Amino acid sequence: MSATAEPTATSTPAEPVGRPDPVVPRTPAEAVALLSDRRATGALHGPLGSLYLVDGLVTAAESPRAPGLADLLTGCGRTTPGDWFELLRLHGPHGRVGAELVDRRLLTRGELELGHLGTLFDAAYFVLADRAGGTWRFEPDARHWLGAVAAVDPARLHREAERRRRLLDRIWPWPQLDTAPVRPVEHHRRPSHRPPGRRRCELLDHADGRRTPADLARLLGRSGFGVTADVRRLAAAGLLDAPHHAAPAPGQAAQTPAQAPQAPARAPQVPAGAAEVPPRPPGAGGAKGRPGGLHRRIPGATLRGAPATDPTGAPARPPAPTRSDRPPTPAAAHPPAVPDPDIALLTRVRDLLEARL
Amino acid sequence: MPGIDECLSGAMAIAGARAASLVDWSSGLALGSLGESPTGDHEASAAEATDLVRAAVESQTFTAAEDRSSPLEDIIVTAGRSYHLIRFIDTVFDSRLVLHLWLDREAGNLAAARFRLQALAEELVLG
Repeated sequence: MSATAEPTATSTPAEPVGRPDPVVPRTPAEAVALLSDRRATGALHGPLGSLYLVDGLVTAAESPRAPGLADLLTGCGRTTPGDWFELLRLHGPHGRVGAELVDRRLLTRGELELGHLGTLFDAAYFVLADRAGGTWRFEPDARHWLGAVAAVDPARLHREAERRRRLLDRIWPWPQLDTAPVRPVEHHRRPSHRPPGRRRCELLDHADGRRTPADLARLLGRSGFGVTADVRRLAAAGLLDAPHHAAPAPGQAAQTPAQAPQAPARAPQVPAGAAEVPPRPPGAGGAKGRPGGLHRRIPGATLRGAPATDPTGAPARPPAPTRSDRPPTPAAAHPPAVPDPDIALLTRVRDLLEARL
Repeated sequence: MPGIDECLSGAMAIAGARAASLVDWSSGLALGSLGESPTGDHEASAAEATDLVRAAVESQTFTAAEDRSSPLEDIIVTAGRSYHLIRFIDTVFDSRLVLHLWLDREAGNLAAARFRLQALAEELVLG
């Protein structure tokens, strides 16, 4: 494995503001675009996963936030974890796992393409949506074990990741929810409070206050983004919350998600981006504080233990007030069940402001 | 063995077909598209078709009396100049996919197109 990177054209510090420098990538998407321009082949590894390129096109993506093809296939019983590892061991090094799945009739060609494209876009969303910087590393000539199934233009992946980010914010602008352990609010078992659709009911039944959306996706064998969106829908309906994290007050709701990924992405994280690409220190992955990243709390710990830090660097928010007419459960901190017109308005204002950036 | 491209080509071979898209309605992603888009942008059309699909799937009226695992087979929108056929695709692993066919009303035959789209959706998954 080499620590050299394609985008390492210069070590000149990037300008903190203004147009993106054409050489020094500032975001994962820019790094991929640069690699694509050079028709690079290899793997780009970041804190939230990896993208595999062949001749500048993305042929596979992996992220711990998104279940992979293996999870889908073992989840539905098409194969066992043992068989899968054997398949990977034998055919992975030759990049023939995909072909082998079809040859053994474990999947049809159509199923392989559907499953692969679905998981590729799913993982790529989490990889590309990570604007927190961190250490990125390009491993030239690395090939993915699946082999040639489909190739996607990185610009298309980037457009899709942006569309998905906007979609999530439209549903419920609370990005902290995407990485937090979630649980139903206490009244969810009442029939009048059951969400529409079998999938969301199932999700609610498996949310136990310890599992994050990524855990739930893997458990249920569903796409990471699909679960993330459903979790936000359930939160918007007041049926689910993150017990250890204060929900945004209506005023903050519109401000937090836009600024968390945007504001710090410009200046300070640039040197840590793909520009220099130092070797990734062990444990650099999920442990570092990211915008939207959350402190995992031990169930039962006191609220005082969770510092309500704002990723924008703004003063920490006070914990959401606990209502006195109820037992002091964190459910009291869940967002209002009724869609607040203020939020819609503030979201629109934010979108307008973002569009002018 | 057909893949996504063959499935979409097959859909475009249906008499009167103007566009065909394979859409993941859990996200609104167009996994593949052929033909002209009604809006000029297949990606935007996929996202909008997703809203329609979601509305139908999540409403008790259309699903309560049906088989729980796959309650809906297709959604048909009849317009003055065209039809839209949206066919649900069942896969063994969890995925939420539809095949969306935009059909010219004069040149196409709704019943025949629906029949053919069903076969294409099955072939895509079953091989």
